[in-house]
Amino acid sequence: MNDDLPEVNVSPARKVFLSGASVVWIIPLLALVAALYVAWQSYNSRGPLITIEFEQGAGIKAGETELRYRDVTVGVVEKVGFSGGLEKVIANVRVDKDVAPFIDSGSVFWIVQPEVSAQGITGLSTVLSGVYIEGSWDETPGAYMERFQGASVAPLIRPGQSGLQLAFRTVANGQLTDNAPILFKGIEVGKIGRAEIAPRGNFAIVEALIYEDHRHLINESTRFWDTSGFSVNISPAGAEIDFSSIATLVGGGVTFDTFVSGGGQVQDGTVFEVFPDKESARNSLFNASSVDPLEISVIFDDNISGLAVGAPVELSGFKIGEVSVLSGVVNPDEFGDARVRLNANLSIQPARLGLPGEVTAANALDFLQGRVEAGLRARLASASLLTGGLKVEFVLVDDAPDAVLESPDGGLPVMPTTENETSDAAATVEGVFTRINNLPIEELLNSAITFLDSAETLISSEDLRATPTDVRALLADLQGLVTSDDVQNIPVSLNATLERVEALVAELERQRIAESLSNVLTAASSAATAVETSVAGLPDLLTQIEAVAAKVESLSLEELVTEVTELSQAAEALLADEDLRETPADVRALLAQLQGLVASEAVQNIPVSLNTTLGRVDALVAELERQRIAENLASVLASAASAATAVETSVAGVPDLVTRIEAVAAKVETLAIEELITEVTALSTSAEALLSDEDLRQAPADVRALLAQVQGLIGSEEVRNVPVLLNAMLTRVEGLVAQLEEEQIVARLGTVLADASDAATAVESSVAGVPELVEQIQAVAAKADSLAVEELVTELTALTASADTLIASEDARALPGSLKRALDEVNYTLQELREGGAIENVNRTLASARNAADNIAVSAQDLPRIVDRLTALFAQAGRTIEGYNRGDDLTRAAQSALREIQKAADALASLARTIERNPNSLLLGR
Amino acid sequence: MQMVSMVSSGTSKEAVTARELGIVACKRCTKASAMGTERCPRCGHRLHSRDPLSLQRVWAFWIVGFLCYIPANTYPMLRTQTLFQVDESTIIGGAVELAHYGSFGIAAIILFASVVIPLAKFWAIAYLAISVKQPVLVSNHRRQFMYEIVEYIGRWSMVDIFVVAILSALVQLRTLASINPGPAAIFFALSVIFTMLSAQAFDSRMIWDVNAKGRTRGS
Repeated sequence: MNDDLPEVNVSPARKVFLSGASVVWIIPLLALVAALYVAWQSYNSRGPLITIEFEQGAGIKAGETELRYRDVTVGVVEKVGFSGGLEKVIANVRVDKDVAPFIDSGSVFWIVQPEVSAQGITGLSTVLSGVYIEGSWDETPGAYMERFQGASVAPLIRPGQSGLQLAFRTVANGQLTDNAPILFKGIEVGKIGRAEIAPRGNFAIVEALIYEDHRHLINESTRFWDTSGFSVNISPAGAEIDFSSIATLVGGGVTFDTFVSGGGQVQDGTVFEVFPDKESARNSLFNASSVDPLEISVIFDDNISGLAVGAPVELSGFKIGEVSVLSGVVNPDEFGDARVRLNANLSIQPARLGLPGEVTAANALDFLQGRVEAGLRARLASASLLTGGLKVEFVLVDDAPDAVLESPDGGLPVMPTTENETSDAAATVEGVFTRINNLPIEELLNSAITFLDSAETLISSEDLRATPTDVRALLADLQGLVTSDDVQNIPVSLNATLERVEALVAELERQRIAESLSNVLTAASSAATAVETSVAGLPDLLTQIEAVAAKVESLSLEELVTEVTELSQAAEALLADEDLRETPADVRALLAQLQGLVASEAVQNIPVSLNTTLGRVDALVAELERQRIAENLASVLASAASAATAVETSVAGVPDLVTRIEAVAAKVETLAIEELITEVTALSTSAEALLSDEDLRQAPADVRALLAQVQGLIGSEEVRNVPVLLNAMLTRVEGLVAQLEEEQIVARLGTVLADASDAATAVESSVAGVPELVEQIQAVAAKADSLAVEELVTELTALTASADTLIASEDARALPGSLKRALDEVNYTLQELREGGAIENVNRTLASARNAADNIAVSAQDLPRIVDRLTALFAQAGRTIEGYNRGDDLTRAAQSALREIQKAADALASLARTIERNPNSLLLGR
Repeated sequence: MQMVSMVSSGTSKEAVTARELGIVACKRCTKASAMGTERCPRCGHRLHSRDPLSLQRVWAFWIVGFLCYIPANTYPMLRTQTLFQVDESTIIGGAVELAHYGSFGIAAIILFASVVIPLAKFWAIAYLAISVKQPVLVSNHRRQFMYEIVEYIGRWSMVDIFVVAILSALVQLRTLASINPGPAAIFFALSVIFTMLSAQAFDSRMIWDVNAKGRTRGS
């Protein structure tokens, strides 16, 4: 039924391909082209895939964790996996194409994660966003590299980062931690990397970076020191705790300063030493620490505590080194005893000596050797007053014994020592303390109290109170004594006594004549000789006598008479003295004594001795007879005969002489004898008055007493021994006579007789001149006739009057009484002293003194204890201060505090890590 | 209701097509005109008994839509930025994640709306376009019904885009949380658009032509 529709041409003409295609096909074509373009572009912009190996994944997520360069994302982790043996985490990172060429062999990758440290919190953004990988590389493209080793920590110095790269060497106890700042005047100018122990293990070495901006601050003279921790300084101003900042307190820090100018430019990689503090850093500037120190040894005789390792060694007050080793040394062979000596090894810094030329230990040793020869010696000296610490000092000693700086057997050179000077300040202070301690204050006070008590009782004693009275009485008595007659009579008594003694002596002399018998013969011999010669000169003598007589004639006989008168007066006074009258009695007594003495056997032996002596003389005379004495006598007699003849002729002139003498007598008769007698009578009266004085009367008593004393003396055994002695002496005389016998005494007698005969002859000749002598005597008598005897009498009268007034003076009479009273008073005073408490008081005072001495002794026993205590105190102070140095307690406390802080920081870090791993837990609470 | 009546009418008795009657209807003003008339005498619209480029347009748009659908699934649909991280999830990834956290219902809805439906549309359009040329077992009525469903669902296919747009507009809390559309959203929208264009380009009258031919041949 649809056949009529063939005209409907469904496909009338198939023209060309796609002619029937709709334009709508353009749309899918465009879509396809766009898709292809996007795909191509996406592929084209894709960078290379690099592989980074990490020790720890630390939260790397594929597709999320980014690779950043300077905090700009330059890539994304595409895959996280493990290496073949699960040793490492491998992150495949698609990096941006434009950055990829720069990622070469110098690139460093590390994972940035949140970190809480003393310097602050870093990587906080990664707490929320997750960790990312930080990459660091330089600005120059390099060869493409596919595999990298990731660093576990961020490198201190990133490639391409400019700055001065240094290394720090420190022997301090590792206060330097990662990223600790390097501060300069409080501004961070660099930072410190991770500290590592040097390969040899003797110090820690730290990498450090000074930022480029501050590079010029560092030169070769720069010194770094540790500012970490805090310093406790206890000074007179008080305690002081110092730390630069909290960050450095916890994490440590380093600062520096350039103390001197002129250091050279510093290259990268220079190693600096980090000093514990500024002071040592400053001091180190003079140290060329690169030069080996000079090690020498010093042996001190005295092992004095206080020297410690590290103690300074000073030369002229300038530190040149320090004590490195301390030990004891015992070497009996070298030192001669087994004492322990202090052996200190000193480490001398050659650079500190300021030697010219090359600074080496050998040069320093040469220098020191030269100085030692000049007298340089080592000694111990006080370094600190408070702690008693010591130091070693090199000083020049004048007159030092020769010594050299020698090194025995390859050991260290041994420096000679000198006397230590530890006694200067510390010892002085110690001595002062010791002395103060020694003072027995309490005992002294006790003694003083006792003394005062004693003094009080003494003063309050009635005896002492009576003393002034007694003294007054004594003085009065003395006065009375002085004015007493007795004392005033003393001179008289003394006079009399002296006269008596004189007489006694004369008597004794007379008595000694008998004892001089032995000398008689000799004297007779010489006398005979003298007679002989004088007889020979007798005529001359007569002539002389005549001349004398002539002279006498011309003499002022009046003066002679005056003298004689005086003499007679004195004799009269003497004879008128009762004492003299009593003297015979005394003499009788004395003679009685002597009689007793004579009656003594010894004296009675004397006649025997005399007998024997006379016997000897007899024998001697017999001997003389035997010899030619008779002949000599004959000649003597002949001489005598001629002498008699001469006398005869002389006697012829005697009547004239008698006439003269008669004239003289007549003259004397005319003299005013009456006046003289009157005067003598007055004198006798005065003398009588004087002698009638009681005192004078007592004087004989005194003389009697004296004689009694003499009697006692004579009665004493010693005097009784005198006869014995006399006996012995006579025996000696006997022996002497015997000796004389033996010697040629007889011969001498012969010569004596010969001399006597010569003398007789001389007399004979001299008698011839006697008449002339008589004439002269006559002339003398004539002269005497004309003398002024009257004047003599007058003078005698005046003298007698003067003596009278002297003797009659009251003072003289009062003297003996006063003297006696004074003596009585003295006697009484002595008695008083004996009876009174003075001696007791003295005794008591001495007892007190003894107590005081005992107390001093007791306190002296206490002294060592106090000294010990003081020593302990000093030791305690020393330990305390040392403790501060070592930081025992305080540092321990600080360390525990720091440990707490560290624990807290650890806790925070773990919290942060937890949050980072699971950020949702903050929101979700899980 | 109309479709049901048509089907029932179709099944009830043999229907005669306008083409068999030599009549062509204006698609704009539905005025029936004789076959061969170039333009509608009433509204001037070009008259076609069958659209000659219908299948070409269907396939062209289908291809573009399908091309767009690929990045719509590979690129992230939503860029969810929370305080801690940025989460970019694709359609399927998001659904899987939701299912992982236990939201199976939502995951199922997302999967159905964003994956099953678009893929079913692609399949349905392609099947219809092929079925016009090749004899298929499915009856004309069922294919017409399929076409009507595709047409009906097409307008709801942009729900995903709406969700993304609304979320992006609502959740903008700066750094705390923000949601932005991902590149997939654009592609998804394009895919939906081109799928709808493809479906519209299909001339449903061709469904019946096969029966007419067969009947003609059979008769």
